[in-house]
Amino acid sequence: MRKRKVINRTEWFLIGIIFLYCAMVTLVNPAFLSFETLFDILRSSAVTTIMAAGIMVVIISGGIDVSFTAVALFGAYVTTKILTETSAAWMEHLGIAFLLSIFMGIIWGLLNAVIVHKLKLPAFIITLGTQNLIFGVMTTFIGSKTYGAAAIPKVFSRFASAQLFRIHTASGTIGVSSFVIPVAIVLALTWFIMYKTKMGRSIFALGNSESAAMRIGINPFRVRLFVYAYMGALAGVAGVVYVSQVRSMYPNALVGDELSVIAAAVIGGTKLSGGQGKLLGAFLGVLIVHLLNNTLIFLGLSSSWNDFFIGALMIVSVSVTAYQERLKNRKHFIFTE
Amino acid sequence: MDRIKKWAAKDSTLSALFVIFFVTAVSLRLVVGKTMYTPERLMLMGFQIPEFGLIALGMTFSFLLGGIDLSLVANANLSGIIGAYILTGIWMPGLSPEMSIVCGIVSALAAAVICGSLNGILIAKFSVPPMIATLSTMTFYNGVAMALTGGESIIGFPKAFTRFSTATLLGIPVLFVLFAIITAALGFLLSATGVGRKVYLYGENPVASRFSAIHNERLIIGIFTQNGFLAGLSGLAIVSRVTTAKVGYGDAYLVQAMLVAIIGGVSPSGGKGKISGVIIAIIIIQVLSSAFTIWQLSPYNRKLIWGFVLIFVIFMNHIIGLYGQRKEKTLKEK
Repeated sequence: MRKRKVINRTEWFLIGIIFLYCAMVTLVNPAFLSFETLFDILRSSAVTTIMAAGIMVVIISGGIDVSFTAVALFGAYVTTKILTETSAAWMEHLGIAFLLSIFMGIIWGLLNAVIVHKLKLPAFIITLGTQNLIFGVMTTFIGSKTYGAAAIPKVFSRFASAQLFRIHTASGTIGVSSFVIPVAIVLALTWFIMYKTKMGRSIFALGNSESAAMRIGINPFRVRLFVYAYMGALAGVAGVVYVSQVRSMYPNALVGDELSVIAAAVIGGTKLSGGQGKLLGAFLGVLIVHLLNNTLIFLGLSSSWNDFFIGALMIVSVSVTAYQERLKNRKHFIFTE
Repeated sequence: MDRIKKWAAKDSTLSALFVIFFVTAVSLRLVVGKTMYTPERLMLMGFQIPEFGLIALGMTFSFLLGGIDLSLVANANLSGIIGAYILTGIWMPGLSPEMSIVCGIVSALAAAVICGSLNGILIAKFSVPPMIATLSTMTFYNGVAMALTGGESIIGFPKAFTRFSTATLLGIPVLFVLFAIITAALGFLLSATGVGRKVYLYGENPVASRFSAIHNERLIIGIFTQNGFLAGLSGLAIVSRVTTAKVGYGDAYLVQAMLVAIIGGVSPSGGKGKISGVIIAIIIIQVLSSAFTIWQLSPYNRKLIWGFVLIFVIFMNHIIGLYGQRKEKTLKEK
């Protein structure tokens, strides 16, 4: 067996792009290269990183989910509503908020898994349906009121302004946001599940070939239940981090961002047809997407150019991955289409 | 009566769709009342059907091939915007109104065809799975449109162009007539020509079609280019009706188009489905959508309903499929 590399070719390539891009921005605007920018990007990419870890797991299992932003919004919105309307003081706790949001995420995730598995149709179509459904259920039955900065429970704003530790530099003190904690936990947990547990191996196996996975005794339904529920749980975490970050809750937030999260995972080398993907790659993908989002302005381009570059990167990265596979298949006279 | 029975037995999906159509149409008439089918209302439906009908036809073809085309709406938007730049004289100023309309329409369609063929090339030549290829190009086309406009809307179209969307021919909207002609042509292409046979064979089993001397790559590029063309027409229709061009118009059409194709009996796994079913599905969705407008439902409520209907229809198809399998099995056992 070939040894798994810590950093593979795609990732070296991405690291190269990040360095080149940063060098370019620094040349134009020297103020860019600072700890402050780094921490800023780490902080602002927390939500995307958490969701990207989840979507990577789903994609590796051979599925896809576009409903997770709706799930995150649902979790965040309902949690905010419960916390603002409750009179019990013990409810005003960050742990409770996370638990509530994760719980709702898992429920929706399980529903996704059941529908995707039982109906045997492209997961994209089904989760697009559930995305509309979840969003509709929330706005129709639960509420579509906007929570402003004043109405947001105090725990969220305290969580957002808390700092893990401070770094003293020449220009002053910079704090590392406490958002690093959920991100680190999620990344470590995902890494552990994917590489150190039987479930992780089952997920890879299912993504490579469902029939082969079934023959070695893997129950695809159980794997799907786990994968979509895990995505739902991470969406729940991302939702709470999101409310804390923006300190307000609009009923139409987040939904629509799912494609840029999927883009981040894909740019990071996750193969959309399943069975391949690495956490480091996905993380680098998130970094690139956020670098583009935050720094195009330094280069004199407006933020309207984001999707242009992300789309172009996506097209290049999916065609390279698919073309390599095609060449390999053709060499062995394997025809998939 | 016997003849009806025979006819219904011949194509069960189509007859089921007819029943669904009548039930929806009649019950909406009963619930909403007289305002449901006034001549003006019907006219309005005729104006709106081409816009998402064209997208739905494109979706149908991509489903028949066993793929999906997510970039249709983004493509329609981008080509509409490119057409708008020329129509309003921001690009190529100094053309006479007639010339600018011709140039605008031609360049919008050219852009749409290029976008469509890029999808085809990615899928056929690079073996990118259709969903992934069109997901990437969807982001890219939206990105190009966004980079061009910066999110602003383009206004100031020539009157002759905006009048086109409300023009009528013998009391029927011109756009609707155009749509009917295109639908008939595509129906003919699918049911009566070699290309149609190839589409069905490819959708059923692409490897078999490759080894049956069918030029798979040429077929895919051709069909996705045609989808691009349909998206371009839809983009022009949208721009002409709303008289502005902006990124994000018609975003809801993507879900609606999938819904139409699935209700119309087109299987997303490829090889099954007919244009006739899709036409009835388009009308059903348009009638429902008009009723929503009368009830003044918010976009939130609409999302809930479309999402629910999509899942429900997929679920029903699954149940019907299971029933069909069981019937086949008992026949074999006999």
